Amino acid sequence: MPDKDGGDPSGDVLAAILGVLGSFNNAGVELSESTRFAEDLNFDSLIVMEFVAGVEDRLDISVPLNILPDIENVGQLATAIREIIKDEHG
Amino acid sequence: MADLFERFAQVQEQRELLFGDGGPDPFQVRMDAVISQTEAIIDGRATILAGTNNYLGLTFAPEALKAAHEALEAEGTGTTGSRVANGTYAGHSDLEAALCKFLNKKHAIVFSTGYLANLSILSTLVGPEDYILMDADCHASIYDGVRMGQAQIIRFKHNDAADLDKRLARLANKPGNKLVVIEGIYSMLGDRAPLKEIVEVKKKHDAYLLSDEAHSLGVLGRYGRGLPEADGVEDDVDFVVGTFSKSVGTVGGFCVSDHDQFDLMRLVCRPYIFTASLPPSVVASAKVSLDLIHNGGALRTRLMRNAQTLHRGLSALGLEIGGEVSPVIAVVAPDQETGVAFWRGLLEVGVYVNLALPPATPHNFTLLRCSLCASHTREQIDNIVTAFSQVASRLDLVPASQTPRRAVAS
Repeated sequence: MPDKDGGDPSGDVLAAILGVLGSFNNAGVELSESTRFAEDLNFDSLIVMEFVAGVEDRLDISVPLNILPDIENVGQLATAIREIIKDEHG
Repeated sequence: MADLFERFAQVQEQRELLFGDGGPDPFQVRMDAVISQTEAIIDGRATILAGTNNYLGLTFAPEALKAAHEALEAEGTGTTGSRVANGTYAGHSDLEAALCKFLNKKHAIVFSTGYLANLSILSTLVGPEDYILMDADCHASIYDGVRMGQAQIIRFKHNDAADLDKRLARLANKPGNKLVVIEGIYSMLGDRAPLKEIVEVKKKHDAYLLSDEAHSLGVLGRYGRGLPEADGVEDDVDFVVGTFSKSVGTVGGFCVSDHDQFDLMRLVCRPYIFTASLPPSVVASAKVSLDLIHNGGALRTRLMRNAQTLHRGLSALGLEIGGEVSPVIAVVAPDQETGVAFWRGLLEVGVYVNLALPPATPHNFTLLRCSLCASHTREQIDNIVTAFSQVASRLDLVPASQTPRRAVAS
């Protein structure tokens, strides 16, 4: 198994994402790392923006809009955010 | 092979849901004749225009009309090419000189629309190592411009200088340049940027600042130079973008700056290089309108008085208004269906406003967006309020009105 928790051994990033995602989960989908934003949650670009702003607040980070087109699911977002955190804290 | 237009099925569904019954539709409304800057004939009815962004009413200013006529006769209907490939007319450079004088900046570049001005500057000015920090409520032309470029794009909370400060602080160790992008007045709710606070934050972090004055040029400041003039921070705004299609009363866009190398933008902004330049008549009327704006203190007073009257009138009805007193006054409808019915009701009694629907609106609001004009008479403003009152009570949004009457007495 690859070390999926990378720079996030306590799982804080994933927990934060899932926590914020809870309030956007109108369809009542079971949330996990493999949950896809567009297909499973029916997110449009506007909801994505609101959701990302929520994650930014929760984790006190800035997520550049540039990375969003390449992110399909929760796990990919968690990986990208761990990179941002590592980067910001040098 | 699948139908290419399949991917727009959701757009079509949404449209049919809201407008499928064949009633008036904001995307198809047609002004059969424009009578003045505040009135048109729509569906056979004299209609008050309260949604044209024609803030100072200069579309029919005699001086601007005369200059446009003369340029049209002298130089023809169009330039048929771009400045870079096909040549600059004297009028284009004269207009740029007039912009420099009007806005007290060293350099000005004129673009063919306001949208293109943002697309040009924002896609080009900053590179892959740089950062754009934009207000979350910025206009689509700003979103499109930054997406076309290569900088890292970070949004900060609308009108929240503290949030901007926090985000710039996180970038303190990054070598790239930081460009903060805001608007003077935001188009949907008419709220102003907290410019003085943003300037403080920008200075603290040694960032550049660009302000889009599309809705505030001509409207704010003693001489109409927009929010930077009104807030006394013109020297701290590095780039001002604007449009000629609102207060200036024609079409076109611009960017001004004191940066010594600013003119280089002409050689690197693709939307500038590859778009046909503005026709001579447009250029001529824009130049005259800048003078009228500079000397337009009385127009600004009338505009703000109209804004206050409408804001007061609509508030008194008990309607929810999205923002502060400004030449943009947006009434919040409870949902999209009610918004459509409201918009149609207003049109039926002779008042044209903008129906603004998500995703173009903040907070997913459905808005009946009014924009005022200095030329609106008190009677027209009263008629707009009466129209809102009638339609709102018919839709059970406010208690029934006491004195129902047609909005436009004809």
